[in-house]
Amino acid sequence: MAKYAMVVDLNRCQGCRACTEACKIENNTGQSMFWMHVFRFEDGEFPDTRMSFLPRPCQHCDNAPCVKVCPTGARFKREDGLVLTDPDRCIGCRYCELACPYGVNYFNWQTPEASQYSDVIDWDDPDIQSATGGLSPPYRNPDLDEEWGPEGRRTAGGNHDKGVMEKCTFCVQRVEQGNLPACVDTCPVTALRFGDISDADSPVSQFIRENETWHLLEEAGTEPSVFYVGGKPPSHSYKEVERPKARV
Amino acid sequence: MRKTITLGMVVGGIVLMLIGYLAAAPWGADTVANSDPSFGFAPALFVLGVIVAFSAALVYELMPDRPER
Amino acid sequence: MATQTNTQTSLLPQGVGRLTTTWKLAMAGSFLLFAVGVFAFVRELSTGMIETGMRNVGTMGGASWGLYITMVVYFIGVSFAGITIAALIRLFNLRHLRPIARFAELLTVVALILGALAIIVDLGQPLRGVVNLFRYARPQSPFFGTFSLVIAGYLVASLIYLYLGGRRDAAIMAHYPSRLQRFHRWWAAGYRDTPEERDRHRQTSFWLAVTIIPLLVIAHSTLGFVFGLQVGRPGWYGTLQAPAFVALAGVSGIGAIIIVGAVVRRIVHDKSRIDLDVFAALGKFLLAFLLVYLYFMSVELLTLLYATPEVEKQLSDALLLGEYAWIYWGSVALLVIPGLGLLWQAFKRRWNVGWLVAFGIAVNLAAIGKRYLIVVPSQTHGTLLPYEVGSYSPSWVEYGVVLGLLGLGALMIGTFVKVFPPIPLREDEEVMVDA
Repeated sequence: MAKYAMVVDLNRCQGCRACTEACKIENNTGQSMFWMHVFRFEDGEFPDTRMSFLPRPCQHCDNAPCVKVCPTGARFKREDGLVLTDPDRCIGCRYCELACPYGVNYFNWQTPEASQYSDVIDWDDPDIQSATGGLSPPYRNPDLDEEWGPEGRRTAGGNHDKGVMEKCTFCVQRVEQGNLPACVDTCPVTALRFGDISDADSPVSQFIRENETWHLLEEAGTEPSVFYVGGKPPSHSYKEVERPKARV
Repeated sequence: MRKTITLGMVVGGIVLMLIGYLAAAPWGADTVANSDPSFGFAPALFVLGVIVAFSAALVYELMPDRPER
Repeated sequence: MATQTNTQTSLLPQGVGRLTTTWKLAMAGSFLLFAVGVFAFVRELSTGMIETGMRNVGTMGGASWGLYITMVVYFIGVSFAGITIAALIRLFNLRHLRPIARFAELLTVVALILGALAIIVDLGQPLRGVVNLFRYARPQSPFFGTFSLVIAGYLVASLIYLYLGGRRDAAIMAHYPSRLQRFHRWWAAGYRDTPEERDRHRQTSFWLAVTIIPLLVIAHSTLGFVFGLQVGRPGWYGTLQAPAFVALAGVSGIGAIIIVGAVVRRIVHDKSRIDLDVFAALGKFLLAFLLVYLYFMSVELLTLLYATPEVEKQLSDALLLGEYAWIYWGSVALLVIPGLGLLWQAFKRRWNVGWLVAFGIAVNLAAIGKRYLIVVPSQTHGTLLPYEVGSYSPSWVEYGVVLGLLGLGALMIGTFVKVFPPIPLREDEEVMVDA
């Protein structure tokens, strides 16, 4: 049985946010939902400041607090390590969001249509239609309507319904078809790696062996599946500069 | 008769609660795994058990005693 | 006989069946609040929860649980005291407190219903929520206890308690023809006040009390666990949450009983049943719970001041000195001042209903404030990763829904006191009827 993990190489990440964009397009997430988010930190006092970037996907924890607290089992962990959300069972209590130490959960506050900027963009405008081919959003990933995994749930992608939770899925729809998650695939400098760590000979396992790795918020006991190489864990003396203008 | 039914309801209620709870609880798997209840609406059974157990009080007070033979 | 019906209705004890102008005005006002709540909730249902002030924690810089969950915890807290008082009265045979037992139980039932509704309005998918909780609820989630034990178990047990405790009075009321006679007959269910029946009732009351008390300690502790087990939320994670919840529940609940008791006294135009001795006892209970809770608060405050882990520093600064400081110190004042006032009254053995009601209101406001401080700051200022701090303020929809819930509560209590005597009838109290 595969066990998936991601490795983030902070020596390479230069904060281009291509991963954030790729994730959005692949998963059709709504306004202000950033399943993949790249922090830009600044620490130290001027003029001795240092800047750093930290990509933060969902950590797909082995001891996931979000799974433990979900009252209905809509948030669940699979044997291959992926922590997924079933939007057809989710009742929108947002307990998973409160339990997550990393802040990776997003709740659909709006209807799916409003979430795709239908209040500011008139998708029916003929000029816009000629560019989008009548689709809203312009590229709507057909994989998001399918059921995935042995459990057969509609876990891929976001923006399914108002009032339900969503978060990074390690692109379950791509992984199950033998591809890499969108962010990993897109990163221009190979700062993101992904693979099966139960296979000792996989590239990602070798990379982990050859480098010193650490986890985000190790002390929280969540046993995340995302490894970090280079850089160091962000302390509270770090300041987040450049927050996305992301409040709906 | 009345006391038998009352006792039966309390015990029955507790049994329903146990069945409902154990069916909803995560067996074998750790707490993190995909854990559906063993049968649908098992939590409803738990709640029903609580209600039945407390309703025994209603039976005890309201049911007329038939003369014992 | 038939022509005398109206006269006889108006002679039912404690103003039952007599709809005074004040009552009608109060009910109209409550209904108005309820209508506002329905309007706000419908807006929330159709457009989505974006109509509230809540937003995602982290990149969105908001709070995902806000006023609704504050009120959930508050209502369930208030419900604690009612049934506890009623149970203690039976268990320890506190006869002089018997007069308040019924509306204390009523307060529990109403508060639990409001608490359940407050959870439902907070869900993104309310209808699905009700079904899926019964279908899939998992005991591993601390929420399971809240849903099954608190809402279902505790509510049913309190209703049964209320029903059985009222049968004798229903039988008395049912003797006399009035518009409510069928209702009273149904409630009485053939009660004849024989020694045997009284004995049975004593036994069921005792056993109900014995089983309800552990049930509600467990239920309130699971409510505390909803917050206390979350290692990812500074300010929530802690062993003191469950006991502190129970203590503050006692404070707000008894405060609510004092307020309702004073109101009921006015409605039934009879100050002799709920006399100063009863209020004195309530005052002492309130003081006891208040001292316990203030002890917990002091321990928490001293621990924070002595040494704060870095991740909690931002949170504790916001609470004690920053944007939440007015709520924090305001709530502290609204707890300490009544505490001092109660100590004074206790020492001097001079109890005053007016002051007690004021203290009851104050501690309830403080309870809402403290619940708010438990729920919100850990989200805006308590992220483990160094996100920028967030902000939250409730929108008109949230205020509207909460007002609607309070209006509904007032409607329920107001209806009850006009169809059934809120204070158990005296042994010799009968309905006065023209011979």
